Amino acid sequence: MKRKIIREVLLIVGLAILLGFVFTFITKQGFFSNKSSSNSSVKNSLEIIPLQKAKELFESKEALFIDSRHEFEYKLGHIEGAINIALNELESKSTQLDSIPKNKLIIIYCDGADCNSSVELGVKCLESGFTNIKIFFGGWQEWKNANFPIVK
Amino acid sequence: MKSLLSNPIFILIVRVFLGGLFVVSSLDKIIYPEAFTVSILNYKVVDETFAILTATTLPWLELICGFLLIIGVYSRTSALILTTLLMGFTILIVSALIRGLDISCGCFTQDPNAEKIGYRKILENVGFILMGVYLVFAKVEGITLLQVLRKKSDFPPSLS
Repeated sequence: MKRKIIREVLLIVGLAILLGFVFTFITKQGFFSNKSSSNSSVKNSLEIIPLQKAKELFESKEALFIDSRHEFEYKLGHIEGAINIALNELESKSTQLDSIPKNKLIIIYCDGADCNSSVELGVKCLESGFTNIKIFFGGWQEWKNANFPIVK
Repeated sequence: MKSLLSNPIFILIVRVFLGGLFVVSSLDKIIYPEAFTVSILNYKVVDETFAILTATTLPWLELICGFLLIIGVYSRTSALILTTLLMGFTILIVSALIRGLDISCGCFTQDPNAEKIGYRKILENVGFILMGVYLVFAKVEGITLLQVLRKKSDFPPSLS
């Protein structure tokens, strides 16, 4: 009985994997998406900056900080002067993004090293024509732990 | 209780409901795997490669199990897989709520503004898990599409 169930589970899971890969291959999505390969090259052109560099640029007041976390998290606390453009609200906030000069130095951050919405938003900004995008990968957690200026 | 576990009509209703639910929920994920990848990444527990792999295969697993549950082939195994998936989803939702994440569930639609995770979603999932557990232990082979097609003589008398 147990062996029969294991055999059936393997059959169903195997079929699901096969169909999933065949479908995404045909529709050019997921692993087979052209967009993701072009995204990878765009991602490679994004500059990742450490905490101290982010702080220097913050003090120079040349950079605009963009918080890519959800509005809920942004409201709980964010880097002083940062604006909130969450990755999933990009379309609704496109006018906000359009009002920023394309050559403006933009530093995007999210929660910390275990999130990637800052990189994803950076890719979208580069694709929209922004030329000076940097990613502060340490993000909110690193900034907050360093006791740098925040707004709560 | 014993009669409920062998009641073919009740089993059929639960099977078709749970199967239909997973078939419907899989469609949006199959059509928009990249949106589903983002939904998975929002939970902040896996990296991008694993999220793409999950978004590629998981909706098909839901579709196949849902379909098998409806037609009554490999019903117990399908119920077992779906129940395991539901338990996994519920643990993920609970962990996201504990971490204070305000994210959409990604369960039925990939619209980021729809169906935010919350305690209602957990209760809903617990209900579905109970249905799944019921099907694992019930005599699910009571009525199957194959039996209907083959017009087997051992077709349950209560349904004939």
